[in-house]
Amino acid sequence: MQNMRGMSTLPVLLTAVAVVALFLFPNFVESTYALHIMILIFISVIMGLGWNILGGYTGQYSVGHAAYFGVGAYTTIVLMQYRHIAPWYGVWAGIVVAVAVALIIGSICFRLRGPYFVLASIAVAEIFRVTALNLKKLTNGAEGILITDIPPFKIGDIVITDFMSKVPFYYIGLVTLLIAIIVTWLLQNSKLGYYFQAIREDQDAAHSLGINLTVYKNVALAFSVVFTSLAGSIYGLYVGFIDPSTVLALDLSVQIVMICIIGGIGTIFGPVIGAVVLVPFSEALRSNMIAQALIDSGLVNESSGFGSFLKEQLSHAHVLIYGILLVVVILFMPDGILGFIRKKLLAKRQKEAI
Amino acid sequence: MAVFLQSMISGILIGGVYALIGIGLTIIFGVMRVINFAHGDLLMIGMYMTYFLFSLLHIDPFVSIVVTIPMMFLFGAFLQKVFINRVLGALPQNQILLTIGMGLVMSNAVMLAFTSDYKILSTTYSSASFNILGISISSPLLISFAITIAITLALYWFLYRTDTGQAIRATAQDRDAAQLMGINVKRMSIIAFGLGASLAGTAGALISPTYYIFPQVGSVFTLKAFVITVLGGMGSIVGATLGGVIIGVAESVGGVYLGSGWKDVIVFILFLLVLLFKPSGLLGTSKD
Repeated sequence: MQNMRGMSTLPVLLTAVAVVALFLFPNFVESTYALHIMILIFISVIMGLGWNILGGYTGQYSVGHAAYFGVGAYTTIVLMQYRHIAPWYGVWAGIVVAVAVALIIGSICFRLRGPYFVLASIAVAEIFRVTALNLKKLTNGAEGILITDIPPFKIGDIVITDFMSKVPFYYIGLVTLLIAIIVTWLLQNSKLGYYFQAIREDQDAAHSLGINLTVYKNVALAFSVVFTSLAGSIYGLYVGFIDPSTVLALDLSVQIVMICIIGGIGTIFGPVIGAVVLVPFSEALRSNMIAQALIDSGLVNESSGFGSFLKEQLSHAHVLIYGILLVVVILFMPDGILGFIRKKLLAKRQKEAI
Repeated sequence: MAVFLQSMISGILIGGVYALIGIGLTIIFGVMRVINFAHGDLLMIGMYMTYFLFSLLHIDPFVSIVVTIPMMFLFGAFLQKVFINRVLGALPQNQILLTIGMGLVMSNAVMLAFTSDYKILSTTYSSASFNILGISISSPLLISFAITIAITLALYWFLYRTDTGQAIRATAQDRDAAQLMGINVKRMSIIAFGLGASLAGTAGALISPTYYIFPQVGSVFTLKAFVITVLGGMGSIVGATLGGVIIGVAESVGGVYLGSGWKDVIVFILFLLVLLFKPSGLLGTSKD
């Protein structure tokens, strides 16, 4: 059962069911914590999908995507907080600024290849971070910007939402995520997407076939930055606070890459799997759930030195898990979880065929 | 003029330590073509080692390098054998991500063990300084500079005068040819990573009397190490030495005239300019 695009019916059906379930989710789940985790997952998937267009499909490993995440977040929030421009306009301004900045950087950095491009992308992101720290008039420096209130979203006189609960952010995240998936899917099967993949496979061969490398790398970067910037704006509005060490940090750039690497780069559902694995795990560590569970299960005595040590320290160590996962994935499943499963399935099928 | 001279001299003094960091990174890159993103974290581990040797055993930080150097060498050799060795043939991007992951594990494991509180190693001479012709020179910086020069000279002697050193340089020049000449390139890789780690650790030990010690201190130095090695030319040992001093001076002079907040921007802009206009660096050969 294959249709024209080469997709079988079952996955399409499953995806549709999943989407409907996700839309109904807030109606059945009251827990704000569950919603919080879902929103964080959505934001991570969006930034992962964004990076994936440049890193996964075009093969340009940027380890500086925090720059565009931060530019999106800062533009939207500075406009809202100091110029009273509503965020649903500010988000577009964020995208425009981020893409404009990206194209300037891209035309400079894309002549570099391999490790040199990686280093340049890090340097660019660091320049942004240090600049944001120093432009105190615009960004409030290291203190960051605290959002006082988001204006209610009205159509005519009817208030659609006042952004008081987590539900509007849930739907904003979900819709943006679906758009990102659809755009990635369309790209993957378009001529443009084939150009990207040709560049990834062999830049020189692609060039000799008449693909203008700088132009198409910049096009991929622009697509990528639109979603990264959106993720930044949504994150800033949702959390209500931004500062250079969260939205422009090197750690964030690494996390964006990791979401894709762990899930499987250059695939649509790779970033989804990566975020679904990473976000709940690191949140569980951050909120001390794992330490508490270890103590509750009786494995570790709370009053013992080790128990209190775990309780105090494990919440700070969520990044440690990122590091360990990254090392394990690169060493043992360089194609990510999705690639690993596919390989196993293929091996199984081949065995059955014999 | 006095201010300029002053900043030049402190730049050169700190540049010596930067050179150690850069030489370590460049040796690793030269021999294995791997860019070590955990380099700053190795330096951080060197700092913690020095701190605990000082606070628990009261060993002076400049004396404790006798312990730090071999310990860090073993640690580096271990990392190479267990992790780096497995990805030598992999995509450069995956090598980079592996070392990023190793760095995250190191800095967060240290944070888990010793919390993220800033530690200060204060010796009797930490803030001592003396004047020469109206220019004040920090004593710990001067001592560390002297040690840096001694180590650099010893390193040059090792790399240019001993058989193992020449084998390392041969491997860096052409891995396949070196192998054909009967050089054990696997062993050279382990030695190279061990050397790189011990140089980073030594640099950490040398700056610990004048720097805050905390688990995330590494990332700053990782980035600086890249700038230094790219500036000097990836794989060039003389280049890294020169690059270290240039970056030290650029930071110090830039910090004086533009404010210390902006000094990192100067370094990164310098870095981008070199990447764009002379990616082979000042002394590098543009082989790949």
